[in-house]
Amino acid sequence: MRIIVIGGGWAGCAAALQAKKCGAEVLLIEKTDLLLGLGNVGGIIRNNGRFTAAEEMIALGGGDLFKIADNCARHKNVDFPGHKHATLYDVNRIEPEVRNYLYSKGVNVIFETRVVDVGTEGNRIKSIYLFDGTEIEGDVFVETTGSTGPIGNCLRYGQGCSMCILRCPSYGPRISISMRAGVEDIQGLRGDESFGAMSGSCKLVKETLSEDIQEKLNKDGVVVLPVPKEDINVEKLNMKVCQQYALKEFAENIVLLDTGHAKLMTSYYPLEKLRKIPGLEKAKFVDPYSGGKANSIRYLSMAPRENTMKVCGLDNLFVGGEKSGLFVGHTEAIVTGTLAGYNAVRAGLGLNLVELPITLAVGDIINHENEMKKSIEGLKLRYTFAGANYFERMKKLGLYTTNVEEIRNRVRSLMLEKFFETRII
Amino acid sequence: MFRYIDCIDAGTEFCPCNLADTGECIICSQLRGKTFCDCLNWKGSCIFQEYYWNHNKSKKVREFAEYVVVDKKYIRDDLIKFDIQVNAHLARQLNSIGSYVFLKNPKSPEFFSTPISIMKSNLKNNQITVVVKIIGVKTKNLGLAGDKILLKGPYWNGIQGQVFLKGLKNSTLFIAARGVAAAPALMVAKKLKLKGNEIIVALDVGRHSENFAKKDFTDLGCKIIDVSMVDYSKYSLKEEFIKIIAELKKKYEFKVILSAGSDEFHELLLNHLYQFDNSLKFATVNNGIITCGEGVCGSCEAKLHNHLIKTCKQQYNPAELFIKPKGEV
Repeated sequence: MRIIVIGGGWAGCAAALQAKKCGAEVLLIEKTDLLLGLGNVGGIIRNNGRFTAAEEMIALGGGDLFKIADNCARHKNVDFPGHKHATLYDVNRIEPEVRNYLYSKGVNVIFETRVVDVGTEGNRIKSIYLFDGTEIEGDVFVETTGSTGPIGNCLRYGQGCSMCILRCPSYGPRISISMRAGVEDIQGLRGDESFGAMSGSCKLVKETLSEDIQEKLNKDGVVVLPVPKEDINVEKLNMKVCQQYALKEFAENIVLLDTGHAKLMTSYYPLEKLRKIPGLEKAKFVDPYSGGKANSIRYLSMAPRENTMKVCGLDNLFVGGEKSGLFVGHTEAIVTGTLAGYNAVRAGLGLNLVELPITLAVGDIINHENEMKKSIEGLKLRYTFAGANYFERMKKLGLYTTNVEEIRNRVRSLMLEKFFETRII
Repeated sequence: MFRYIDCIDAGTEFCPCNLADTGECIICSQLRGKTFCDCLNWKGSCIFQEYYWNHNKSKKVREFAEYVVVDKKYIRDDLIKFDIQVNAHLARQLNSIGSYVFLKNPKSPEFFSTPISIMKSNLKNNQITVVVKIIGVKTKNLGLAGDKILLKGPYWNGIQGQVFLKGLKNSTLFIAARGVAAAPALMVAKKLKLKGNEIIVALDVGRHSENFAKKDFTDLGCKIIDVSMVDYSKYSLKEEFIKIIAELKKKYEFKVILSAGSDEFHELLLNHLYQFDNSLKFATVNNGIITCGEGVCGSCEAKLHNHLIKTCKQQYNPAELFIKPKGEV
């Protein structure tokens, strides 16, 4: 059985890996020359409820990628405003680690290849078409192309191309596979009901910061610098993707995290203003290159899905990551991608599809987001273990814990220990 | 289902064009009235972004300019060869597969302008060579031009299926050329020779002993076969030509074919070859009735899969247009 995964970000890697672990032949198609997509510029895991989710996945047997990220950590147990016990992985080290791991498991990957269309037969996708017209047939498909708009969308809904890691001019824009197969996309809303949301962070070249700041970043992983009063812009928080970081503290302060580069926790920050802050006089953006002006726009293309991650209205298309909902973050992408990859194999075998139990945070978030998305208000929210409304919900339901033994017991009592490790073909 | 879509002007200095102003851009969904990117054929630049940065208007259109006719020669009573002195920039732009220009007698009104393919563009002396066949009002009028001529260009869509030609390297190309269509085929031969391809040219002798471009093809190092291709009594390929094609196919194992003739000839040739090998790739000279060259006037439109194609600037896959499944007329 051949599973084709389209999009090699965290969700796509997780789906490909899981489908392979289940025993399928897997082809992962990535439009750029790098796996992990935004995982090359993110770097934050295990903060707040993400700790619980990561440990749940490890107990479920689907934690391979978390272990790799842990091994690439620059800092563990970091606290910063609104966030506790974060792990910051090195964005400059992680991609080859994941790539080699996928290769070692036997996942086939093709790079610099853009999928632009599908061939369908009734409610099934029969094949996909590459940019040059090449047709590739498969049994089940997983779309993890994200929801980030190409340049045109970044222009219409944002402030134009900011030259982000997706590098549309070089590799071309993403295409909505589900829409090509006839399923209308869902689009996320901002507070003012305009579409999309702006990506929430940038990277500064660490070497362009003062020696004090570099030293503190290397030692503690975090530096908080006050923003001059006249430059505080609370309004900007409303347009952010990452509502877990849309806190007053992030408007009044510059929060820098050490992920290899200095991660600046704001959507964009004009360089002129940034350089007014002591220690940042020579600061330079490295991602996006035009991080002083803009950032990428997301949530413009999500597929309606079931809690099994199958796309509604299609028999053999599954989705993960941002493509599957208003999720934010690597952890969320790995969770949804893993389930998508698992159920893709089951669908290929004609088996019934599974949902993750809502007594685990990883199951609850998938279920909860799907419910919430049905309302206009729900479309304005983002869903992440790391903060905002969903972390509140985790705490309220008693799902949040940092007690690893307790998490293992929960999974054990559901008889789901090493669930994702079982080969089903 | 995969749809092959390309605009020959996308990403050039003439993009975005008038079509963007009117919400009819061939490539960009945002410039076709949508509020979401759905860009199938990415050429490395965002047309919407170009439009935005150009203050939400299209780029300047091509305009007529006067050039000197260096040489004008009647190859036959109805076939004129013009050598025209242009500037270095235009000569460079016209030195590519499928390039054509609009030509007009300076004394005539705008609607006398007619599209003519570029046969040669000499980058040393900046002269272009075109061959005009006199068939009607516009071409007759052009024949009356003296030592000055009005020219508008560059345009590039004189050959369809360019994607198959431009990608060909160290391989073999088979060209079947008839009459004046040999002119754009010569430009193809020149370009593909530079990429190490072997080029086999079947030239229709037509009404004369040999095709006017034979010497040029020979000079390029192409292998030439003179043959009579079409039986006019039943409008089919002649047995003699069919036999030669079979021999050449066996000997050279070509995968790409340029059909340089009328649309009826494309249909005969492509269907004949396709039934033996459906992996063949086809390019064809563009016979669309081109009047404006900007996708506006509608005279060149062709219908394909229920979509209208503006053939003056839009590329299509010739196999999709000309190959008819058996039984279909």
